[in-house]
Amino acid sequence: IFFYPGTVKMHMAVYLVAMCRAVPVNDLLDRASQRSDKMHSLSTLLTQEMDSHFPPYGRMQMPRPADCHTSILQTPNDKEQALQVSESDLMSLARSLLRGWVDPLAVLSTNAITLPHPAKSSISSKIQELQEHSKSLADGLDILSGKMGPAAQTISFLPYTGGTDLGQDRVTILNKFNFLLSCLRRDSHKIDSFLKVLRCRAAKLQPELC
Amino acid sequence: MRTHLGLVMLCVMSAAGVCSSTSAPESPRQFDCRSREKETFSCWWEPGSDGGLPTEYRLFYEIEKGVRECPDYVSAGENSCFFDKRHTSFWAEYIMMVVATNALGNASAQFQIPDVMNYVKPDPPVNVTVVVNSSAPSPFLEIRWKSPPNVDVRTGWVTPKYELRVKQNDSKEWKVIDIGAQTFFNFHNVEHGLLYMVQVRCNLDYGKWSEWSNTIFAKIPKHHQLEKYFWIFVFVFSLIPLLTAMYILVLKRKVVKQCLLPPVPGPKIKGVDVHLLKSGQSEDVVNALTGNQNFPPMAAWTEQVEDFLLVSDSDEWLLTDTFASEEKKDIFIIPASLHLGLEIQCGDSTVDLNTWEKTDDSKEETKSNFLNTEPINLPIEKQECLSGEEVSIQPNTSYVDIQQRPTLTDYSRVKEVNGDTILILNEEEIPHGSDAVKVKREVSVPDDYSRVKEVNSDVVFLEKGDSKPIMPHDSELSKGFCSKMIANGYVDSVPSFSVK
Repeated sequence: IFFYPGTVKMHMAVYLVAMCRAVPVNDLLDRASQRSDKMHSLSTLLTQEMDSHFPPYGRMQMPRPADCHTSILQTPNDKEQALQVSESDLMSLARSLLRGWVDPLAVLSTNAITLPHPAKSSISSKIQELQEHSKSLADGLDILSGKMGPAAQTISFLPYTGGTDLGQDRVTILNKFNFLLSCLRRDSHKIDSFLKVLRCRAAKLQPELC
Repeated sequence: MRTHLGLVMLCVMSAAGVCSSTSAPESPRQFDCRSREKETFSCWWEPGSDGGLPTEYRLFYEIEKGVRECPDYVSAGENSCFFDKRHTSFWAEYIMMVVATNALGNASAQFQIPDVMNYVKPDPPVNVTVVVNSSAPSPFLEIRWKSPPNVDVRTGWVTPKYELRVKQNDSKEWKVIDIGAQTFFNFHNVEHGLLYMVQVRCNLDYGKWSEWSNTIFAKIPKHHQLEKYFWIFVFVFSLIPLLTAMYILVLKRKVVKQCLLPPVPGPKIKGVDVHLLKSGQSEDVVNALTGNQNFPPMAAWTEQVEDFLLVSDSDEWLLTDTFASEEKKDIFIIPASLHLGLEIQCGDSTVDLNTWEKTDDSKEETKSNFLNTEPINLPIEKQECLSGEEVSIQPNTSYVDIQQRPTLTDYSRVKEVNGDTILILNEEEIPHGSDAVKVKREVSVPDDYSRVKEVNSDVVFLEKGDSKPIMPHDSELSKGFCSKMIANGYVDSVPSFSVK
């Protein structure tokens, strides 16, 4: 996926800003964090559902998180680091991660239907729901970022190179599926954490929100 | 001896071997970590056999680049490693290596922690309070708690979510409720008089659930007894006056009836004064009632009367036949002492006429008026005039007692019964009063019965006619009566009058 040229984006952002001036930023951030919370809940359930019928990896065989396609993106890894990142950067990181999962989610969705797993229908429905939330959140963050600094407009490109086919044999397919879900869970957690930090920081006048 | 020494040496050497059968330690087993607040974490391992020698355990970890040793072996207890904030990284892989070392060797084991986030398990919530709210309409439990003290909720970095469960004391099943991020809940499904148990737990970012908090007990009080008694008391006391009122009503229902439903006053006729009716002239009353209608004049009525009665108290009348025959008037001869005590106290003359009218019965036949012994109710009867006042014709000492007729139930009084005549009465007094007629005369009954006016049960009345009147031999007059027969007369068996 190639993101839009910066100028077009700027124009769109200005237009959207003009339209959405009425809704306050706090309210938008609140809605965004609610959606990211839901996304993380779904991804957590997916991994748990996967593990219920699939034996966990051996300690040596477990794919490493560094192998996730989004690991190239530098993100804060603890609380102190996260609290030091600017709002715009946080927004940018969240949007980049979100954008990076559009393709892999599609791959997961198509492969879930034929997944050699007893809970494949439940998994498939959850992935579809995830896709909807992801799309909706991305649109909302696009509007929000328009109200923030120029850094918020920057989106890092995180291509997925895993291909549409997960494998030939059952074990390979399940392993890859499981690995992708774990990467998804990690990234949904990041997005959720960053947006919640953003929300709290924006609501300094209303400490009861946090 | 040499054999003895060799055996001893063997023994000593073997003994030394048993005492120092140590070995290198075994590698540690089991590895687990936990982060309680998403800021730090700790890991524990289970040591293997130490080989009989004091063994040292060391942990080395590798994260992204470089190998580091555990910063804190103490804070988390034995065989643990505590990673503080500076050494904690999330979404990063930790490769842990635990090395056990003793005098004889070492052993190690490697553990992979792909993401510490997977090991986040908070402490249970604290300050759990349950307050029974007894307000209407039904009681409920107000449950409050706080996040674990080591969790920092102000930055948004961590968002605790809660879950609570409630159970009746003697029940087996818990009611589990998903709360979300708020720290209070009102539980309504409670009943009076039961004891309830409440527990709360939390998780961070959909990680592992904490342990359940301490159990808080809450008892719903039974219905307020005092309040019940109070209302019963009020109810009973309010009944007493009610019952009293009803009792009085029943006893004095007549009085109450009169109070509530007073008697309806009599009708009021327009134009008529009640007082006038009581004391005034009946003329006015009649005028008022009849609306001053004009009744036909008296003269008109009198025309109907063919004859009027001439009443005189002198004897002159009796002697003149011609006068009587010419006139053909019926003359009532009334002795002087007799006066018609018809003191009709009605002021209306029409009334008099009316009363007189009754005396004339079969007027169409003759113009003579017989005074028949048919009881004229005039004297005796009390007539009610229009005024409402009774009219009573005062019976004087000598009044025409027409009513009294010679009742001949006692035939002993009949003196003589002639073939043609019926002798009526005898000289004996009639038991009725002193004014009884005591006229006896002999009347001959003519063959012509056409002249019979009336046949009484006792007497026969003959009309005035050509029959020769038979003068009674004696006409005994009663004290106040005059019964002189007129020659022109007729059979008149009425003793009291002689009618022409």
